[in-house]
Amino acid sequence: MRKLTITAAVLTAWLAAPTQSHAACGKVTIAEMNWESAAVAAHVYKTILDKGYGCDVELVPGDTVPTTTSMTEKGEPDLAPEIWINSAREVVERAVKEGRLKIAGKILKDGGEEGWWIPDYFLKKHPELTTLQAVLKRPDLFPDKEEPGKGRFYSCPSGWACQIINGNLFEAYGLEKAGFVSFDPGSGEGLSAAIAKAYERKEPFFGYYWAPTSVLGKYPMVRLEGMTHDPASWACMAKPDCANPKPNMYPASNVLTVVTSKFADSAPEAMSFVRKFSWENKVVNAVLAWKDNQQADAEETAEYFIKNYESVWTKWVPAEVAAKVTAATS
Amino acid sequence: MPEWLLTFPELNRETLRALRRSLDEGYRGFSRTFGESIENFFDPLLAFLVWFERLLLASPWWLVLIALGAIAFGASRSIRLVAGVVAAFAAIGVLGMWEDTMRTLAIICVCTVIAVAIGLPIGIAMSRSDRTQGAILPILDVMQTMPIFVYLIPVVMLLGLGKVPGVIAVVVYALPPVIRLTNLGIRLVDKDILEATDAFGAGSWQRLVSVQLPLALPNIMAGVNQTIMLALSMVVIASMIGVKGLGQPVLQAVTNQYFALGLFNGAAVVALAIVFDRVSQNYGRRLQRHRQIVSS
Repeated sequence: MRKLTITAAVLTAWLAAPTQSHAACGKVTIAEMNWESAAVAAHVYKTILDKGYGCDVELVPGDTVPTTTSMTEKGEPDLAPEIWINSAREVVERAVKEGRLKIAGKILKDGGEEGWWIPDYFLKKHPELTTLQAVLKRPDLFPDKEEPGKGRFYSCPSGWACQIINGNLFEAYGLEKAGFVSFDPGSGEGLSAAIAKAYERKEPFFGYYWAPTSVLGKYPMVRLEGMTHDPASWACMAKPDCANPKPNMYPASNVLTVVTSKFADSAPEAMSFVRKFSWENKVVNAVLAWKDNQQADAEETAEYFIKNYESVWTKWVPAEVAAKVTAATS
Repeated sequence: MPEWLLTFPELNRETLRALRRSLDEGYRGFSRTFGESIENFFDPLLAFLVWFERLLLASPWWLVLIALGAIAFGASRSIRLVAGVVAAFAAIGVLGMWEDTMRTLAIICVCTVIAVAIGLPIGIAMSRSDRTQGAILPILDVMQTMPIFVYLIPVVMLLGLGKVPGVIAVVVYALPPVIRLTNLGIRLVDKDILEATDAFGAGSWQRLVSVQLPLALPNIMAGVNQTIMLALSMVVIASMIGVKGLGQPVLQAVTNQYFALGLFNGAAVVALAIVFDRVSQNYGRRLQRHRQIVSS
């Protein structure tokens, strides 16, 4: 018995030695989402988990729906930064109830803003266009070359959850009757390129976007008023076959870090950091603006964040972990 | 060993960044200055695309079916092919993909015509001079291997989202085979025959039109076939920059794992490809047969 205790003690001591975090953390896969803020967050996670906790981190490409589905069904990847819960509520809530996933925390302290926007230069030119209702009166200001005589509303790309919600809002606010066509930009890159193009030439633009993003940092736009969130009818808006969509609005989004239960249970120390990872939109916008100006990739941007925003991230980790990360990145 | 022998002596990050930024700024400046006039230049093409798509969408489905059947018959004189074409489009309609298929049909028709109209003369020019061939071959290599997304987004910055940038992307990608095979086909024409043609006193235009092109036709048609196939395979990519059609449901299926939706629309793309190919190949074969009768 005694021997066993000693062995156990030795073993624990060995485990608790420098390799401790290795043994406690192991291999972690993180979804690198295909939008900027989440990609930078993934690299910040990677750097801190790797250098600070000795995890063996691998990034895998991801997107809201495929990643949450894969995490639920296959337990892979372990961690998804930036799940916009409005876009994946059903999958995530069911998986949390079934104990497959855990919500680690709010990665965006302020939440995200989704909505319909017009560029600020265009509002300056047409100051009456502050509300959706005012825009609906002027489809001629947003001409769609492919549908002569109609206005173009840039919706979400095929397959994004907001495509369905936009479709329902489109019907609820009577955009078709007002003379607008819903335009599928095909991809997130297409949508942001369309905004960039409009901005470069000061052309009209009316469509969906979200913050925090470097796009909205670089090309300031104004979110249209005149749409209010109604929790009662909101559930219907996320369904493609919503029978009778009513006027509604995106709520301020909860943007969460979601992990598999396997990871949460097997790496408690790393998990306590994951729980604390939460940054303000102000910080994210600034970091993304730097990224854009410098043409840096997500990895370089994460490095920039670690080097320049110590006051932010050191609050998320114990002092000795912070020291390790600083030592490894300087 | 010194450091520069161990790790590749690359430019430092700042220099690289400055280089990339200046190139980007340059492109942005170009797009700001010339974008609008380039866009206007393509306006007639867009108007035609819109008109053609509307025509296909607004015509009653049976009229479109009859027209397609008639085109297939005119090109091939084969009742079996006509039956196949009508059956394929009927199946597409029954499965609820008529509109998307018409949109794709419209854009692919235009792309193929443009690709052949540009490709044939370039191929002919290449076959006549080794220097031209040497200059154009590397360009074709770039067009075929450069990852599409590299030029897709710059094209959007220039022309916006929609049909015109879609057509440009598809044509760039689908153009090389028809150029290569036209060039090859003409170069493979027997030298003795050409000598005989010269001996009969044919001019160079006559030689091209009545000897070289007809004899190169099997190769040229193989090029046209490849061009059609590549154009259709680009449908999904084109839908990523807002081209409506069969690509969008495929994209939606991919992002949401709707297996059946993806399969149906993918099958519709395949059906379109086969119809295009069989009709054009039969036409090519008939063309050859006519020529042979005339020449024998």
